[in-house]
Amino acid sequence: MKQTSHQFSENVTRALAEPTLKIALDRTTTLLRTRRAKVIDAFPEYAKARETAQKIKDHTLDNLGHYLRQFEENAIASGAQVYWAATPAEARKTVTDICKAEGAKTATRVKSMLGEEIGIGEALADAGVERIETDLAEHIIQLAGDPPSHIVMPAMHKTQEQVAELFAAKHKEPSEEQDVTSLVGSARRELRAKFMNADISISGANFLIADTGSFVTVTNEGNAELTTTPPKTHIVTVGIEKIVPSLKHAAVFLRLLSRAAIGTEITQYTTFFNGPKRDGDRDGPENLHIVLVDNHRSDMLSDFLRPMLRCIRCGACMNHCPVYAAVGGHAYGAVYPGPMGSVLTPAMTGLKGSKDLPNACTLNGRCREVCPVNIPLTDMLRALRAKQFDEGMPTPMTKWALRLWGVMATRPALYRFGTGVSNMALRLLARGRGKITSVPLAGGWTRTRDLPEPEAGTFMQQYKKRR
Amino acid sequence: MSRDAILRKIDNANAVRMSSDVAAAAAALIAEPDGYRATFAPQSVYDRFVAKATSETVTATVEDIASLEALPEAVAAYIANNELVPRIALQPRDSLTELNWSGFETVDQAQMNETLAVTFADAAIAETGSLVFRTAPDAPVLLNFLPLHHLVVVRRSSILPHMEDAFDHFGTTADAQRRSLNVITGTSGTADIEAKNVRGAHGPRFMHIYCVTD
Ligand code: SF4
Repeated sequence: MKQTSHQFSENVTRALAEPTLKIALDRTTTLLRTRRAKVIDAFPEYAKARETAQKIKDHTLDNLGHYLRQFEENAIASGAQVYWAATPAEARKTVTDICKAEGAKTATRVKSMLGEEIGIGEALADAGVERIETDLAEHIIQLAGDPPSHIVMPAMHKTQEQVAELFAAKHKEPSEEQDVTSLVGSARRELRAKFMNADISISGANFLIADTGSFVTVTNEGNAELTTTPPKTHIVTVGIEKIVPSLKHAAVFLRLLSRAAIGTEITQYTTFFNGPKRDGDRDGPENLHIVLVDNHRSDMLSDFLRPMLRCIRCGACMNHCPVYAAVGGHAYGAVYPGPMGSVLTPAMTGLKGSKDLPNACTLNGRCREVCPVNIPLTDMLRALRAKQFDEGMPTPMTKWALRLWGVMATRPALYRFGTGVSNMALRLLARGRGKITSVPLAGGWTRTRDLPEPEAGTFMQQYKKRR
Repeated sequence: MSRDAILRKIDNANAVRMSSDVAAAAAALIAEPDGYRATFAPQSVYDRFVAKATSETVTATVEDIASLEALPEAVAAYIANNELVPRIALQPRDSLTELNWSGFETVDQAQMNETLAVTFADAAIAETGSLVFRTAPDAPVLLNFLPLHHLVVVRRSSILPHMEDAFDHFGTTADAQRRSLNVITGTSGTADIEAKNVRGAHGPRFMHIYCVTD
């Protein structure tokens, strides 16, 4: 996808003006938050599980070279071919070359964020391969021509009504009914034959198992297995940070991932793959290619973003983020939206083109609280802001405003006078209605929301009166 | 070559962090699994399995049968109750094929729109109500994914408490792995449209489990 993080404020303005977006986001994030809270409450071992998960990830990152070599050796022994790609371009080229060598015409794909990150669509197009998305949400956005807006639910920005319209227009046998069950049935009919007839299947992996050379996919739809079993060739593209030492270490994460992501104890389908089809097997791919992708992960190992490599891509941080809930995933203009995206995007594509992202955060800390691997997202966002400042990136306007604030804040009398005057001014604007619908020179704030009427007097004024 | 460059960067970044005994450090992290997984004593492994498999999120149904020989009759009842055609995609495993399936058309491979399949699970996991399938020449993958109705046979004695127990049971080394190990928990579902839960997304919409008690 084309990154548009540099025009974050334009994106936000557009998102806020879109009436159905807010409806879609509210319906979905509310449900996901409630379900997560319920399933975590029913899991008294959660705190220990989270601590264990964090420790396993830290241990694995500390010994990443060892585990990657071990994985490579075991995967090759299982019959897979293993490739390494330092950049998205290298990863794309590897995929394109495999597709060309196979003479492939169609590829079914299981959603993976890494695939989005490297631009897998482009890689397939370069090889002249038709791409068929099989995850329901990815199918929806492929038909709509949209980029994903959430890492677990890429079609979160669409309402049921919009999906119904889309399927009616694009499916061969759309259903008459427009309830969700019928819509899902329509997609099932549409995709069945495509599973069976594709030349190549493409997936990511949620985990790599170092000591067996296996990789793991989790889905609720069962599309990973349906996608990767019939075609002759299966290509896996996966980030190097997905590795864990053993099967039993993976089990720790499987308990957390689904709980954090959608509020269930385990995903419906969890599959451990090991090599291509064996002698005598009746199904499965003959060729298995695993592409290990770096894309700045090895850089992150040696700076303050290292803890971000613990991320298991559950999406909980965005489901609980007030900024995400207001603007949706597209406004971030990058593959990874929400709090984790605001850390990853600058790390992977540079801070210059994404400088608004670390600032699109209220530092309320909900994201870190719900993160199943305890990533200090707010600390990292704050550190990115500091880095921006050190690198002289803020606009002259911001610098000027900060300087003005500095002058005020170091002179208490002046500060009190200033806040007293603005308090009075805002109360005048509210005219006793409890809210302020427009503020001169601050239209950007009030165009899409009201400002609450301030209390009578500043904190200091009230404090003096009550003492 | 990218491989060496990536590994060199990683090793440099980790120079002072690497564990001296990696295997021991990794094992220590998971030494006390009961601290971090859902435990269910005094509930029995069987009761826990049934409770989870039939829960609102897993949506399977469970029926006890006294012996494997009772399976064809039980399947016949299922087919009659659901008014399905008497055709079964039957996993080509001796323990299933040698049963008496007269009155049914049986096939050993699932068609694209197969209505019903009967397969044997190699184990079950009580903690989550999951079934474990390992691929083998007589246990292909698609039979568990293509049918609309998935009927699963599992021996009561092969219900294990946790996923870790299944790993131990089948072996945790590289050599012990089959091409795939499918851990299946209920039916195919999706929440991709407004997070509303719907069944029968791509895989089975109905799952019925026969628990053989012998
Ligand atoms: S940062 Fe944490 S909460 Fe966010 S996606 Fe990653 S693991 Fe999940």
